[in-house]
Amino acid sequence: MNETKVGSWLYFFLGLACFLIPGVVAVFIVYDKGISFLPVFMFAGIVIWFGLFWLFPFTFGKLGKGKKKVSFDERDQSIHKKAVMSAYVVLWLYFVAVCVIAWCIVGPHGSISVNVMPLTLLGGLVIFTLVQGLASMIQYGRGGKDGEK
Amino acid sequence: MAKSEMQNQVRRLRFENGEITQQQLADRVGVTRQTIIAIESGKYAPSLPLAFKLARSFGVSIEQVFQYDEQET
Repeated sequence: MNETKVGSWLYFFLGLACFLIPGVVAVFIVYDKGISFLPVFMFAGIVIWFGLFWLFPFTFGKLGKGKKKVSFDERDQSIHKKAVMSAYVVLWLYFVAVCVIAWCIVGPHGSISVNVMPLTLLGGLVIFTLVQGLASMIQYGRGGKDGEK
Repeated sequence: MAKSEMQNQVRRLRFENGEITQQQLADRVGVTRQTIIAIESGKYAPSLPLAFKLARSFGVSIEQVFQYDEQET
């Protein structure tokens, strides 16, 4: 397993942990103490902060130019871009599915609790991370999609 | 429908240029060894700048390293 692939796995599990732990804590606070701005802002803040990690690999090519040892190059960047794109598409499908399922369950005149929203968001983030990691693994396993025979 | 096939002589040129290793070539052109492996096995088509870097590192033209065959299927 190469260095970048190991990094990708680490990234995958760290990403999951970063979103799961604060997400579960925020949802727990909401259910335990009632809905308030504090857990919602805390969760949103953490999501934005860790969400920036997804942008770092896009700039690695530029940042790492001065270094002698290369651990992230154009192929890794291409794989990362495709993985993020795949995850983004699945994320949208997930949100559409959630809306349709909610509509089917409660009906056109029903209503749902606002507590469902952070849960839906958390589920979306977990799905995004999982799909991104999976897409990266598939592409590394196949040597990257570009120029594949 | 046209089917594109990229072929390359990276492996042969490596051996003809003092049998340099994949890691040495990767260091010369600024990529990882895994990318050189993927290029040699035809699983990855490099970008144009990288293709030029590879050709220049061997001291040959880009056409001598990469060949493109368009086949009608």
